[in-house]
Amino acid sequence: MKEKLRSLWQKLFGDSMRAFGVVSLVFLASMAIAPAKNFFSEWRHYQHGYLSMIRNRSEANTLRRHFQGGIQQIWLPDLGVVDRCTSCHVGLKEPTLTDVAQQPYRKHPVIPHNLDQFGCTVCHRGQGAATTVAEAHSSTLAWEQPILPAKFVESSCGQCHRGSLPGTPQLNLGRNLLSRSGCVHCHAVKLPDGSTVKATDDPPSLSHIGDKTTRQWIYAWLKDPQAYAVTATMPNFKLSDADARDISAFLIANSAPVAGDSVTLSAKPSNDPTAGASLYGESFCASCHAVQNAAGNVVGGDVGPELTRIGSKVKPEWLQAWVRNPRVYDPPTGMPHYRFNDAQVATLTGFLLAKTDSDLLANVHLDAATPEQIAHGKRLVSDYGCASCHEIAGIKKPENFAPELSRIGSKPITQLIFLQGMQHTLPDYIAGKIKQPRAFAPGLKMPQYTFTPAQIDALTTALLSLNDRSYSLPPSLAVSAPPESDYQPAGKAGKLMTDLACFSCHRINGHGGDMAPDLTWEGSSVQREWLVQFFRNPGTLRPALIRRMPKFNLTDGEINELTDYIMTVYQSPSVDRDSMPVSGYAQGQIELGKQLYYGKYSCQGCHIVDTKTDKGYIGPTLTHVGSRLTAAWIYQWMKNPEALRPGTIEPNRAMSDEDARALTAFLISQKGGGQQEAAKK
Amino acid sequence: MAKTVDQYFDDLQQTRVWRSIFRSGTGSSTLKRALAIQQNVFLHLFSTKVRTRMLSFSATWYLGTLTLGTFLILVATGIPLMLYYHPSVPQAYADTKDLQFVVSSGMFLRNLHRWSAHAMVFLVFAHMFKVFYRGAYRTPREFNWVIGVVLLLITLLLSYTGYLLPWDQLAYWAITVGSNIASAVPLVGEKIHFLLLGGNAVNANALLRFYVLHCMILPLAAIFFVAIHFWRIRKDGGLYSHASEPATLRAASKDAAAATEAQ
Repeated sequence: MKEKLRSLWQKLFGDSMRAFGVVSLVFLASMAIAPAKNFFSEWRHYQHGYLSMIRNRSEANTLRRHFQGGIQQIWLPDLGVVDRCTSCHVGLKEPTLTDVAQQPYRKHPVIPHNLDQFGCTVCHRGQGAATTVAEAHSSTLAWEQPILPAKFVESSCGQCHRGSLPGTPQLNLGRNLLSRSGCVHCHAVKLPDGSTVKATDDPPSLSHIGDKTTRQWIYAWLKDPQAYAVTATMPNFKLSDADARDISAFLIANSAPVAGDSVTLSAKPSNDPTAGASLYGESFCASCHAVQNAAGNVVGGDVGPELTRIGSKVKPEWLQAWVRNPRVYDPPTGMPHYRFNDAQVATLTGFLLAKTDSDLLANVHLDAATPEQIAHGKRLVSDYGCASCHEIAGIKKPENFAPELSRIGSKPITQLIFLQGMQHTLPDYIAGKIKQPRAFAPGLKMPQYTFTPAQIDALTTALLSLNDRSYSLPPSLAVSAPPESDYQPAGKAGKLMTDLACFSCHRINGHGGDMAPDLTWEGSSVQREWLVQFFRNPGTLRPALIRRMPKFNLTDGEINELTDYIMTVYQSPSVDRDSMPVSGYAQGQIELGKQLYYGKYSCQGCHIVDTKTDKGYIGPTLTHVGSRLTAAWIYQWMKNPEALRPGTIEPNRAMSDEDARALTAFLISQKGGGQQEAAKK
Repeated sequence: MAKTVDQYFDDLQQTRVWRSIFRSGTGSSTLKRALAIQQNVFLHLFSTKVRTRMLSFSATWYLGTLTLGTFLILVATGIPLMLYYHPSVPQAYADTKDLQFVVSSGMFLRNLHRWSAHAMVFLVFAHMFKVFYRGAYRTPREFNWVIGVVLLLITLLLSYTGYLLPWDQLAYWAITVGSNIASAVPLVGEKIHFLLLGGNAVNANALLRFYVLHCMILPLAAIFFVAIHFWRIRKDGGLYSHASEPATLRAASKDAAAATEAQ
């Protein structure tokens, strides 16, 4: 053996010439490794794979013509994007590859953007410059951001689109939750346009809480808000019994009474469930307030608080004062001031007070509070940042109580502390923080929310959209949200509209809710007489809807005030309501309009003109449209509905002037013929 | 009869072109061989005469030559790297990424440059230790030792300036830390810090400064001092061997050794 080795050594390195030759050969071979690695690269492998995949397809020639070999890249200097993903993902833009499920050859789903203008990493993250799978997709030493999991990809839409989009329900929900769940009371979120995300949950002031409820209820609520109302926004702070006892003691001790809250009614709360239920229904309380039914389902709106166990919470005299006029206790409340008479107030409070849950307060036994307990409660209220959300007399709203979340979507993974067994990615971290905030370290203050997994994903999506790119975007690419205005109507009518809380449901000049129609151009749209009638007795325009305008029992003076204001101020510059008459159209034109209605445009698919034959429940019923809308409005609406009400589902049918005029004539002649027929019966 | 390789080589040396370039004639006489070295601009720094035993591995472990070899590799790979690299803030990191992902054998080029740099630093130290422990720094080689120390500093500076150029987090913070160390110098520390970075923080100016230092000033300085280093080897009597030292010195060291033994 030794001999053999020696002879081999002699053969290879026996003299200097041989040694030089052998070493040179070894050197050349090692030099060949680099070009060889270059040649057997991953992207070349995938391109070969693609070519052999398309060989047997019927459209092989077209695909081969589209195919470009070599490293491909999408270069977008404005965005700082160099994406070479298309070197391997070769079939992204091939519309015919619908049946291919194998990556990297799958075709990209249809999106509203051109891939060449946006690249890949803008939406999917990952390392665009890389030409190997591991480097491009995973988190490496040199690149932290791996590919974004597909379920969070909507967050990337939110980098540019700051308003809600029809195609991004998850992002919209997440953004909504971010302001609705109270996150932004503690966490500041600055948006790229300089504004901050505003909270929309409107937590109640606690300065007068003693008027409204008892210390026992506060204790039970603090221990578990969801035990009182499953839809409660308030999260669970996991307080100990002693802490809940002390905070409730402080809040009651700190509360100052409001004048007018203790006024007792002449009529005692009546206990007539039928009358109460029917008044509750007539007043459309359920449009805003929900109640959990026997099956455990929460039925009703989410604008106001859930009322399932309201009787266990409020003091009867407070509830009466509130139902009579909520603005006495809480001037900026979103609850309308119904003009109920004493009997109605008694009926409604009686109905509500009957909604109790004996289990809720059964185990709450509190002794009288000591001064130490109250002092401790005050300290706890500051420690837990209660004043971040609630107004509490004597406690200042803390500044920067929780970390700012403005660029959370780009937070370096190296700065995060993960839980054990958790995947080390940013989306997992954010979702984990929302899911179990207190698990990450002892002594953390963030309370426990009761989000569903879908809500957690939505919130994570919204937070991921707050990243460095969304702030460094070229201004031309940013699609800003329609600005939320703080429009306030002026004068007496304005005061009345605030009192009735019109903006809780209606939107005017970009301000207000979206439950009811936008009233910005209402003055151009409707006829005065109809509006007066409607205020007096709001009927339904859309029989398919459960929600509708409640009756506020307005006086004639108030109705006149409101009507005058609406008819004068809320006029569209593009609709002159006096330019077309509301009657006196030629019969021929009306007939032509009718033919167009049932024939060419098939309006009966969504609308009802004749209650006997038409079955359209999507749009408003048009049997009385001639006495409701102005002719000029109908005409302009026919021509371009989107121009009058952005976002309407009414399609633009590109009507000629003649067609629009004929349809207007037909519709304006619908002045409630059905009524006459009903009268005949 | 076919000619051997040696014969072809002899023929080549006889040609007019060869003679016009190398001037000295052929032949294996001592004079001719000495002239071949002396009359060549590339070789004239070297000793005209080297003893065979000085070329044995054990004499120097070839550490100086290996250092020169890595330096040559660094120049050879550094120049193509310069073709792909912009010393600008938005571009520098993207260029290193391009070298990694797109340039043919770019990764090989970059890695060769990087590992050679590491090897050079290691070899320079090893060379110094070898020289030190063999006592090769002694008269008349003290000045060449000093030149060697200058070359060590240049090597370290080349390594340090090159470290910033990929413009990644590692580079950024290494240079931030390094330049902050410089600012700890009493009195002039802040000035040195500012001079080094061309500003108060590591940014575009620092990148440009480090690039110019790394690709221009320091390599030229290195070549200059390497030339002096090699020239001094010849002037100081060739590569060190115990026998090449002056007799008096040898005697003195012998006495000293005897003295230590006696103790």
